[in-house]
Amino acid sequence: MRNLLLHPRTALLCRILLGLAFIAAALPKISDPPGFAKAIWAYELFPPWSLSPLALLLPWLELVCGLALCLGFWPRAAALWVAGLLVAFMVALSINLARRHPVDCGCFGATAHHTEAERLEDMRWALARDAGLLLLALQCLWAGRGRPLESGPAHGQQI
Amino acid sequence: MAKATSSLPLQMLALAGLAGIAALLSNLSAPASRRLAWQGSLPVPALAAGPSQAALQPPPAPEAPAPKPDEGIRPLPPLAPLPPLPPKAPLPVAPSQAPPAPAVLAPAPAPIQEISAAEAWKAFQAGTPFLDARRSADFAEGHIAKAWSAPVWESDLEDRLFSFKAARRPGPEDPIVIYCSGGDCKDSHLLAAKLLEQGYFRLLIFREGFPAWVAQGRPVEKGQP
Repeated sequence: MRNLLLHPRTALLCRILLGLAFIAAALPKISDPPGFAKAIWAYELFPPWSLSPLALLLPWLELVCGLALCLGFWPRAAALWVAGLLVAFMVALSINLARRHPVDCGCFGATAHHTEAERLEDMRWALARDAGLLLLALQCLWAGRGRPLESGPAHGQQI
Repeated sequence: MAKATSSLPLQMLALAGLAGIAALLSNLSAPASRRLAWQGSLPVPALAAGPSQAALQPPPAPEAPAPKPDEGIRPLPPLAPLPPLPPKAPLPVAPSQAPPAPAVLAPAPAPIQEISAAEAWKAFQAGTPFLDARRSADFAEGHIAKAWSAPVWESDLEDRLFSFKAARRPGPEDPIVIYCSGGDCKDSHLLAAKLLEQGYFRLLIFREGFPAWVAQGRPVEKGQP
């Protein structure tokens, strides 16, 4: 089991899947920063001054890390960022779920209008999805332990 | 390996820096409707603790008379064009030196009120200006006839409001109807809070918003603002 989990192909698959998920999440937000700022505002967790910087920076950080994961460029650094972001997303969702404050996730851009019950249900699914992605990120970090940071073939052969 | 491990934070910083540069360039080249000011322009501070509950009150009875100047409710000077009050202007309440005449003195109306679809239709027929607080793309797909686009989340909101004020020259007491997409949409409340800060004291939020307007077959238009 351990061998299967740490098999290079498993690691490659996890890395690509995680990277693609983050690229897919980033693109709609990059194309509409005001919409994402509104989504962040709805969480009622962030001070007003932080909304614009977050809405502008986060999607690009997701895209850069997603591309890095897919291309195998600094994959551990990217996986650490991604894991940190996922934990932050899960905390934000959990706080709002705990106080039963329905918000549109905003994870993959703006969503259509929902009822409050639908939103809360979506938030639970988003939480589960983030947990799954976090497992992928942890696999990337685990499989990358003891390996060179630049896991491309050229660097791998040098060390 | 030790060297490689110690460079992990540097790599993370480099990734973040790359994202920051990309965000900067992307935002610079974005059209106004998709741009964000890095600081300050979002209309959220007034709403941080909820949608203007302090300034909001249920819709008045439709036949409630407008306050008359001789009732001493609001001794404002005759309407000067566009006299935005200072941001810290007190909310419009009855002055303390007003004569104690409860039979005559109606309570001062809250500056932000919610109105129903029927009241919105009356306001429309009376020629009251309508402001559409939704995104400009939604406005282009369809909006209340003759409404002005004022998307609260877009970077050119101030320019759009300036155009509206220059064209309609609303006085601080003139009613302005604000709407968004109904339901739990808070954009119209955000816009109302912003206009209140700018010195407008009769802001009517059409709470059911554009979907109700369409459902009732009221006049709509399409196209860019």
